Amino acid sequence: MEVTNTVNIKHLDKIYSNLLKEDTVALKDINLEIKNGEFLSIIGPSGCGKSTLLKVIGGLEKPTRGEIEYLDKENRLGFVFQDSVLLPWKNVRENAEFPLVIQKKQTKENEERLDALLELAGLTEFKTALPRELSGGMKQRVSIVRALSYDAPLLLMDEPFGALDAITRDHMNEELLNIWTQTKKTIVFVTHSIGEAVFLADRVVVMSTRPGTIKEIVPIDLARPRNSQTRNNPKFSEYTGYLRGIIG
Amino acid sequence: MKKENKLLKILKGAGEYAFSIGVFILAWHLYVRLNDVPEYILPSPDKVWVSFVDLFRTGTVWPHLWATTYEVILGFIIGSLIGMALGYLFTKVEPVKTALMPYLIFLQTAPKIALVPLFVVWFGIGVVSKIILIITMVVFPVLSGMMLGLESIPTDVRNLMKVLKATKWQVFSLVEIQYSLPSLFSSFKIGIVQAVIGAIVAEWMSGKQGLGYILTYASSTYEVSMLLAGIVLTIILGIVTYEIIHIFENKALYWHESKE
Repeated sequence: MEVTNTVNIKHLDKIYSNLLKEDTVALKDINLEIKNGEFLSIIGPSGCGKSTLLKVIGGLEKPTRGEIEYLDKENRLGFVFQDSVLLPWKNVRENAEFPLVIQKKQTKENEERLDALLELAGLTEFKTALPRELSGGMKQRVSIVRALSYDAPLLLMDEPFGALDAITRDHMNEELLNIWTQTKKTIVFVTHSIGEAVFLADRVVVMSTRPGTIKEIVPIDLARPRNSQTRNNPKFSEYTGYLRGIIG
Repeated sequence: MKKENKLLKILKGAGEYAFSIGVFILAWHLYVRLNDVPEYILPSPDKVWVSFVDLFRTGTVWPHLWATTYEVILGFIIGSLIGMALGYLFTKVEPVKTALMPYLIFLQTAPKIALVPLFVVWFGIGVVSKIILIITMVVFPVLSGMMLGLESIPTDVRNLMKVLKATKWQVFSLVEIQYSLPSLFSSFKIGIVQAVIGAIVAEWMSGKQGLGYILTYASSTYEVSMLLAGIVLTIILGIVTYEIIHIFENKALYWHESKE
């Protein structure tokens, strides 16, 4: 059967064993279809394995059981971490260009797309700045551009705005939606903020803890493009209230 | 504006330095004059200066200075390379670390000067035994610095390299070396000082070349002003080599918080 979803996850378990053979079940029987071009948020209490699930999708952790199928045969994906993990000796543009250097894809076309992405993220003026000269929000923008630089179809984000203040965070959310609309990527976004999850996503995956399982998948039927007004929409509060209820 | 301030700061620093040395030399001069200290105990600074100039004027010092500098530089480079390679190997292959670390700690804590006679027996009184002593003094600090540097790399940087499917060589050359540089340079600065000490000590013990030999020669012939001139020269060699490392450090770590 032809795979049409960006990622298909079937009966996935992740078990950590220590030396005493005591098993910790981090993820149990996860079934999830990530559709092409959708914005999917994953939310849940600490320790529910949402970051582990993202790492398994990103190939950073191996599943204990089950399988993951990717639409992209080369399994190319971008990963944005909680911390921006910029290389401190490289300036903004060099950091964003880093994946192209690693993958030896510094073609004219890629370099031009990179400059367009930097423009889209409002970083053009800061191309030659070193990471230590940037604010937290700026650093995270560079790290998003870096993840998009090699045009992978899938972008995985692990609480990327968790360390930012509330106002910057709201701005970053709007900018991220803008980037998502323009680049047409599939995004999986892990967060512990209910408001952020609802504001961004087409669907919100709610996970429960010990063992980490999917409790419910909630489609978010809010009109796009979404902007600061969206948060005042009564439906927005309905969704956040409902999600708060099931997370418990 | 910022550059001018920096220059002013350097000049001010140099001024303070010169003043402090001037006061020291003056005190030394007055002490020798007022107490009539005999020259074979402590010569006055001007006598030491004359000996110092003589060493260069007669040309006697050049082969010795060259011999010591050569040993220091060669021993330091080989020792650093071995230290970095071992440090990398130890962080990557745990069993190698478990197997070799006890010997290295043994070598590090043993007074290495005690090993010099052994090195002389094994490698002769020539340059080889001296360079080997220097290597043993440089390896350990560089090894520690390399390991500290490699272990300081954030987990997510390694994860990023994995997501980008970077090769081991790319991880090493593009990320690991750079992250190791701050602690490596700290250990290079310890290592170069150790290298100068090692060279002088080894030259005391054997052979007829190097600044260490000048010191033992001057001491055994009671030429104290020449001895002091020799000591000043070893200090200058130490400062110059240390400052060269420091200049490289400033160039390489322009991005580091400590250089802000």
